[in-house]
Order: sequence, then C-alpha cells, then structure tokens
Amino acid sequence: MASLFRSALRLRNCFGIKASSIGAKNGISRFNVPVCAKYSNVASNDEIIQPTEQIPAVRVPAEIARNKLVEYGNFVSECLPKYIQQVQITHTNELELLVDPEYIVHVLTFLKDNSLSQFTNLSDFTAVDVPTRPCRFELVYNLLSIPYNQRIRVKTYTDELTAVDSICDVHVGANWYEREIWDMFGVFFKNHPDLRRILTDYGFDGHPFRKDFPLTGYYEVRYDDETERVVREPMEMAQEFRKFDLTSPWEAFPKFRKTPELPPPPADQEEKK
Amino acid sequence: MSSTFARAVAAGAAKRVPIKPIVSANPDQAKRRVLTLYKQWYRAVPLIIRTYQLPYAVETVQEKIKEQFMKNSHVRDVRAIDILIIKGEMDLQETLLNWKQDCHVRDYFENPTKVQEPTDFLGKFLTQKH
Amino acid sequence: NRVEVFVNDQSVWVEPGSTVLQACEIAGIQIPRFCYHDRLSVAGNCRMCLVEIEKSPKPQASCAMPVMKGMRIKPDSDVSKKAREGVMEFLLANHPLDCPICDQGGECDLQDQSMMFGSDRSRFLESKRAVEDKNIGPLIKTIMTRCIQCTRCVRFADEIAGVSDLGTTGRGNDMQIGTYVEKMFTSELSGNVIDICPVGALTAKPSAFTARPWETRKTESVDVMDALGSNIVVSTRTGDVLRILPRLNEEINEEWISDKTRFSYDGLKRQRLTQPMIRNEQGGLSTCPWVDALPMVADKLMATAPEKISALVGGFTDAETLVCLKDLLNRFDSEGLCTEELFVADGSGTDLRSNYLLNSSISGVEEADLVLLIGTNPRYEAPMFNARIRKAWIHNELEVAVVGSKVDLTYSYDHLGDSPQTLKQLADGSHPFSAKLKAAKKPIVVVGSEMFTREDGGAIHAAVSTIAQKARLTSTSNRGGEDDWKVLNVLHKVASQVAALDLGYKAGPDHIRNNPPSLLFLLGADEGVVSRENLPKDCFVVYIGTHGDVSAPFADVILPSAAYTEKTATYVNTEGRAQQSQSAVSPPGSAREDWKIIRALSEVAGASLPYDDIDAVRSRMGEMAPNLTRYNHVEGANYFKQAQELAQLAKPKLLDAPLKSSQLTLADFYMTDTITRASKTMAKCVKAATEG
Repeated sequence: MASLFRSALRLRNCFGIKASSIGAKNGISRFNVPVCAKYSNVASNDEIIQPTEQIPAVRVPAEIARNKLVEYGNFVSECLPKYIQQVQITHTNELELLVDPEYIVHVLTFLKDNSLSQFTNLSDFTAVDVPTRPCRFELVYNLLSIPYNQRIRVKTYTDELTAVDSICDVHVGANWYEREIWDMFGVFFKNHPDLRRILTDYGFDGHPFRKDFPLTGYYEVRYDDETERVVREPMEMAQEFRKFDLTSPWEAFPKFRKTPELPPPPADQEEKK
Repeated sequence: MSSTFARAVAAGAAKRVPIKPIVSANPDQAKRRVLTLYKQWYRAVPLIIRTYQLPYAVETVQEKIKEQFMKNSHVRDVRAIDILIIKGEMDLQETLLNWKQDCHVRDYFENPTKVQEPTDFLGKFLTQKH
Repeated sequence: NRVEVFVNDQSVWVEPGSTVLQACEIAGIQIPRFCYHDRLSVAGNCRMCLVEIEKSPKPQASCAMPVMKGMRIKPDSDVSKKAREGVMEFLLANHPLDCPICDQGGECDLQDQSMMFGSDRSRFLESKRAVEDKNIGPLIKTIMTRCIQCTRCVRFADEIAGVSDLGTTGRGNDMQIGTYVEKMFTSELSGNVIDICPVGALTAKPSAFTARPWETRKTESVDVMDALGSNIVVSTRTGDVLRILPRLNEEINEEWISDKTRFSYDGLKRQRLTQPMIRNEQGGLSTCPWVDALPMVADKLMATAPEKISALVGGFTDAETLVCLKDLLNRFDSEGLCTEELFVADGSGTDLRSNYLLNSSISGVEEADLVLLIGTNPRYEAPMFNARIRKAWIHNELEVAVVGSKVDLTYSYDHLGDSPQTLKQLADGSHPFSAKLKAAKKPIVVVGSEMFTREDGGAIHAAVSTIAQKARLTSTSNRGGEDDWKVLNVLHKVASQVAALDLGYKAGPDHIRNNPPSLLFLLGADEGVVSRENLPKDCFVVYIGTHGDVSAPFADVILPSAAYTEKTATYVNTEGRAQQSQSAVSPPGSAREDWKIIRALSEVAGASLPYDDIDAVRSRMGEMAPNLTRYNHVEGANYFKQAQELAQLAKPKLLDAPLKSSQLTLADFYMTDTITRASKTMAKCVKAATEG
C-alpha cells in the first residue's frame, strides 16, 4: 500500500487536480486535508515490513487502515473530479464513493483498470429503495481489489423512469445482479445483454422490493384440483399479522426519564424567595 | 450519512433537467414502437393458441391483447411508455419461447384482476361482512 | 399548606401527610413496589420500595413513610439501588423459575422489576420452599408457590370486596395466603385479585394457558352486563376474545370490574346464531342466505297493517339499532316500539328523564351522607355501584338504610323492613327513620328498576319520588340553600334501557299485550316476556339477535346479529352517560351488525333509511336525542318537582306483597341474560356458589 500512496502523490502532481469537496455532516469525514500532511507519519517509515513466515501477518490497526482509505479516497476523487460527487467513510471505516449515475461505467472502469486500484471483483451489487427521495433508488456496488486486499463501495442513484448504464461490459458478473435489480426494483439497465426476469414467476406483476409493494403481495397461487392447474387468486389473509405489544408499565430507562411538570410552589413561598 | 447523500442526490436530480430518454426520443417514436409491439403480439396469436392449447377463439385472444394494451392507454410519459414496451417485449418473449406454462397464459382470461365490488349499502351488506 | 421535599435534589411541593413514594411519583420517579396499591391500605411488607433518605441511618419503606419538611429523598442513590437488589434477591429466593409456563409472564411486576432493579446474577444454592395450591373457585387459579406474600389480595377482599375470605396463616418462611378452610372466594368482584396480584400466584382460570399478553390486541370498550357501563379492555387474538380486563374510569368503575363482566365472554362463543334461518314446511328452522331471509321479512312488513307491527327490544340493544328500528317502524306508520324491561307508565312516566336516571351519579355516592336503598340489591344488580357505596361507607361514615329484602350488602345498614307500607310512612314522615332523612345533608334515594315491574309500580314510584322530593327540600335547607343535590335515583338492570327511554320507546310489553301484533320484531328480547302462547297464532315473529336462547326457537325468521364486542355502538348507562363500545372481533359466520340488518331490511322493503354508515346513523341519533352522541358526558335531568307532582296524579294503591329483589344470593348473580346463560364459566360459578 505504501507504494500505492506514493504513486498516488505523483499522480496528483501530474494531474494537478484539486479535490472536489462537498459538504459533510456527522459521521462522515471530509477529505480536505492535504494528502501529504496526513500521509507524512507513515511515509517517513521508508518501508512497511512485509509479513514473512517468521513474522505472522498482524491486523493493521484501525487508524492506519482508515488513513489508507482516506488517502485512496482523496486520490480517486482527484482523478475523477467530474464523476465523483462525494467521498465518505462510514462509521465502520468503509470507503464510499458517491457517483453521478451518468458516469458509473467510467468510474467502475477506472477502478478496475487503474493499476493502483485494481478493483476487479464485483462482490455484490444491489439497490435500496427510499421512496421519499427525488431519485428513490440507490444503487450500491461493492468492489474488492484482490492485489491490494481492499474493499470499496460505489453508490449512485436513479428513479423508476431513468435508465442506468449496464456495467456488464466492465464486470461480466454484474449480469445477473442487474437482472435481479430489474426484477426486484424495476430499475432499467441500458445496454444489458439479456435483461429479463430472474426470480419472479412469469406473469408476475410489480417489483417486490419496492417499499410500496405490500409485504403479502397482491396474488396468491395454488394448485386447483377442479381445473387441474395452478390458479392465481387475489390475496386473502387466513391469519392476521402478528403485532406484539412489548410495553411495560415500569420505567425501563431511568436515564431518559422525562421531567414531569411539577406543581408550582405555593404563592407565599415564592414571595419569601 | 443518508441525509447528505440525499442532498447530493437531490442536487444531481436538479442538475439533470433535460430528461434522458430510455429508447424513444419523442412521443411519435414511442407510438410507433407501441404499434410495432402490438403487431408482433397480434401476429403471434395463432401460435400462442396452438402452443398453450387455449380453448379460445383467435378473436378472444386478440381482444384480450387489445384490452391489456388499452389498460395503459392513459400513460403519456414517453419514458414510462418505453418501460411498458420493454416489459411487453419481455412478456412476448416469455410467451413465444414457451417459458410460460399454460396457467400463466390462462390467468389473463380466467382471473379478472379486479373483482367488481358493490358500492351500494345493500350490495355490501350481502357480499361482505363490514 | 404544602411542604417542600427534595427528590434527587429537585424541590417538590407535596401535600403534608402524603408518602415519600407519592412525592417521588410527583417528581416523575417511579419507585418499585409490590405490596403498595393506590386503592388499598398501606401494608409496607414487601420492602421493595426502600429508598435512601438523608440523615436516616437505614433506607426507608417509601410507601409507608410520610414526608417531612425539607426531607431529602435519594431514590436513585447507590444505597437505594443496593437495597432494592437485596430485597429482590430475597423475594426470588423462594419464587419458582417457571416464567415460561406462567400466565403472568409478560405482565408480571416481579419479572419486570427484577429486570430493572434486580441483580443480574444469583447467589442462591439452597432449595426453594413449595406451597400447596388452594382451590378458591372456578374463576381464580392459584399457584401459591409463586406468591410473594404482598397481601394485596387479602386487603382487596377485606376493603373493596367486603368479604373476609382471604387471610394469611403462618409466619416467616411459612407464611401462606389462603381461605383457612377450602372454600370458594365468594365475591362478585373476585376476579380483580387477578389484576392486582403482582406475580402469577392468582391467574384467571378460564383463560389459563391461552395467550401471552404481548401477542394480544387490546380494544377499549364498554361493558353491557349491567346498566353501569363499566369500562373494559377486550383482549383478542386472531378474531377470538381471550379475556376482558377493566379500564380505568374514576366516574364509573375505578379500576375494578365484576366477575360477570370479566368472565362471561365465553358465552359469546357458544350458542351463537351465525346464519339467517327461516321456518320451513316441516316446522323446523333451516339456514338460508341473507338474500332469502330479507325479502321474506320485507314482504311481511309491507303487507301488514301499521297497527299490527310491533317491536320488542332486549337488554343488549345499542342506541344505533334503536334509532334505526324506530325510523323503520315509523316509516311504516307503526309506533309499536317497546322495551322488554318494564318501567312505570303512570304519572309523567318516562317523559321526564329525571324519572329514570341515576341522577346523583355513581361517583356522587362518595359525597353523600345517607343512602336509602329501596327494593334493590345493588351488590348483584350493579356490583361496581355497591363497591362505591362500600367505599363511602368506610371512608365517609355513610349511613345506609334498606327497604326490601334483607341481603348481605358487604356493609352494615338499617333494615327498615320489606313492606310497601314502610314507603308510605317514609313519604308522610311518620316512620322513625324519617328524622334521619330530614337531618341528612346529602341524602340519596336509590330505587331498583325491578320495583316498577310490580303491579303497584306507579304507587311505589309516587311514594319514592315524594320521599326523594321531601329529602331534597330538607337537605337543601340543611346545606344552607344550595340547590345542587339530586336525591332520586333509579338503578337499572340492563344496558339498553336508558337509551331506549331517551329515544321514546314504551317501557314494557303492555302495548304488545293490548294490540296483538301480526308482525313482531324481537331484538335480543330473551327474558321470556313474550312467547308463542301469549301471541296471536298468525303472528310472524322476526328474531334479530346473537344467541339461540329463549325467543329464537319460536321465531319464523332469525337474523343473526353482532354482540357487544363485535360492533362499534353506543350504550347509555343508568346515569345517562353515553359511551361507545368498539368492535374487537368480527361477528361470527354471516352475522351482521344490528343496525345494518335493519337498514338493509328497509331497503328491501322499499323504504330505505337515509344513512349508509355509522357516522350518518349517529348524526340521525343526535337529531333524535342529542345526549346520545355526547360521549362520556352525563346529561343531567332536573324536573324532580314536576315529576313528583305528576306521579301523584295516578294513584293506584300500594299492595301488601313485600318488596323483594330477585337476586338474593351470589348464585343468582351469575346467570341473568343471554350471554351469561350461554357461558360455561358462569354455569360453573353458579354450581360452585350453590354448593359452597
């Protein structure tokens, strides 16, 4: 990794790009610290000792691991300032790149092909539905760089009617993931080689992972003895949903006690004071 | 975290004012594509009846296809039309390649998706409980 | 005159004489407790409420410790916490670890408090004490090993229920709660000990091992087993009523309910009518769909002459149904609307509301200084009202006198005999008791509605209203001229009566007797006042109700309706307080809500009533009697003088037959109506109470 970051410094110099910075809130670190300043303490140890048979691999301390990710995040955002809208680190020290959906293919291509990144493995790709947002779907790509043993998460966004470019050309493994997202969320991927349903039944209507899709669905299917085939019928609940009432009359959290409105002291006492 | 991202998302959404078409660039194109899909379905009717051994006349199936198309006749957004066309194409593919089973096709005919529920007091009283 | 104390260094002003526990409660801090209960006397024996008080060498039991000026209470200090942990450890020393099979699990004070205030590990190695279970009747299951000897149940029996059945034997580790000899806990309020028991020692026998409290749904509703309208919570799971619990209402039932209210719910599941039925050619009843039953009734309705149509409503009918039925019959020009329960028709009868209400209200008893009960046994007719009288009798030195059957009312009273002549003497002031009545500042005269079912009901009413009116005048002057005390009270027995009278129904089936109908609607009228024998041969009887009990077998058409836990409906209690019941479960089979049946019938008969939903029915109800839609509000009545004068006009003679209540012993209490007659639990109670 040390060499990675040193090269990163060089890269930065030759591009001469300044990191785009977008406002950050609680829980998110914003990387506007100069790379060299943050890196200096590690860089001064000329070489990190590589594990050998005699010296077992030791887990990198969280602080150092975090710093490495910070460095790398800065590097990427400086390389692709137009495409990356924000870089953030989660509270569990995971690097996240928030990317403009137009350029998702560019970003993933860079992450895969850049010799300092080599995120060649798409370990997971899924979506999150947040119906209150203007672009309700968040697409989440989890990538793994095997040479550097690093993970990164790339996020972008879209809505029901905006197509996102398929990344099948970059990561062949995205094929079924994209089919799954199309099936479950209804996000359309442009230029996908074979976009069709993958999990739901033929004739199934709707996208089950959308938040506005009812938990029970609309239809139930069963085998009908009379017609000797599977029939589809509107959902009818035989049993009501379980709903547990777990309140206790006793105060569970004295620390979070509400101060009640105390009766005011008698008037004559007020005067005395 | 989510809130900042939401803001970024909102900013992104605001930025992209010219809506990107999915396939069709304008309503005319969309209309043409709908008609193409409709014709494809229409031509496939005899094959569908044969493949799935449907006990219906050609006219009935044609009528049903028309009904399914007319169900979305209110849609005006070109992108929404495009998505519907894409779904319709997928459906056609599933049907023609015999991926579907009999019951999937027959569901269109035998299970009207919405049962007409009575709206007057007496009708409700007689059919349902509450 | 309040004193200042400091709770966690926060200044709190409290009444002098209140306890440390109450002071903490005002400051918003809950002290754990087992034996202390707001409505019972202080025992101070569980020691769970120990708190540290500055300058006191040891922690103090806060439930029994009165506040003193400037006291510094430290409920969250380490000493307090350690004291609680220690007490909890001792309590758990003998408590079995059977929470997984205990019915109290999930609503157990011991469970909750050991989670919150107890130690997180056990040092206990010795074996536990075991106690033999007691059999105290068909309602309460005892698992006495779980008992922590808080004595709440003993104090409840002594103080609220007024029966000294429960007590303690032994001391120290051998202390036990029991009935001394094996016998039933003979109280109409016995079920309440289940609620106040902080552990699983006393649980409900009928609902044993059925459900966990967190998986049930709770619906706040109103009881209809007596005319008081006690507030209840109906616990349900998957469309099944699992138990009924009391809901706090200081004006009516405080936090208690009677056993009939609590345990008769199993009557809602047995002998129910679930399908419409019509009489077939063989003379039997056979089920049919609604589409067949409704036109049959509608045809009859259209073909029958107006004066030949009548309706008789029973004790569980809600106000919405009464409104619909009245509108329906009025559409067909009929006025034959009667209630099953009788009331006086002489004098002003039911025209003046003051004649038929419990005017001084249930909680008003607590202010009274003298109660005269005439021909009623409130203990079984209205147990919560009786508990109120007992409460006032204990705390306010209330004096009670009874004219009527000599029964055990759980408090002592002057028995003035059961002769109607006593009333006459009281009315003209020649009875020795009249002096006391005259001296009373806030007297209450309560007459049981049962007295008006007598032939001389009019005369009794005249005499009672004279007694009440005189007492009202003298008490007003005794209080220095404040004219705000109402004396005359009628205690009804059924839940529907006040609403029916408010809506102008005729009380009693006299109208039906005098005008033999050829179409008769029975709305849950099952007390046997009409039968095939006293109806014309060609009379077409339509029964709309919940149970196949007395009347359904002779009906020509049966239309199944919803019971009180199955509908959102309005009931008016004997005070004139309108309350709403909520639908907790759906009606069984194809039973429908009563008002909907009548509304549907009206449409089939070509005279559609102009409302389609419950809100529209309610606004119509508000037009007819505005007080019926003012929920939880007592609409007072105030024409006592006029009512008394009018009552004198009709003056049949008082008979000599003694004034008797029909419910004399506990065995008479349990089974009084369709629901309780269908209830297995109630039948077991009757058996247990008869055999002792």
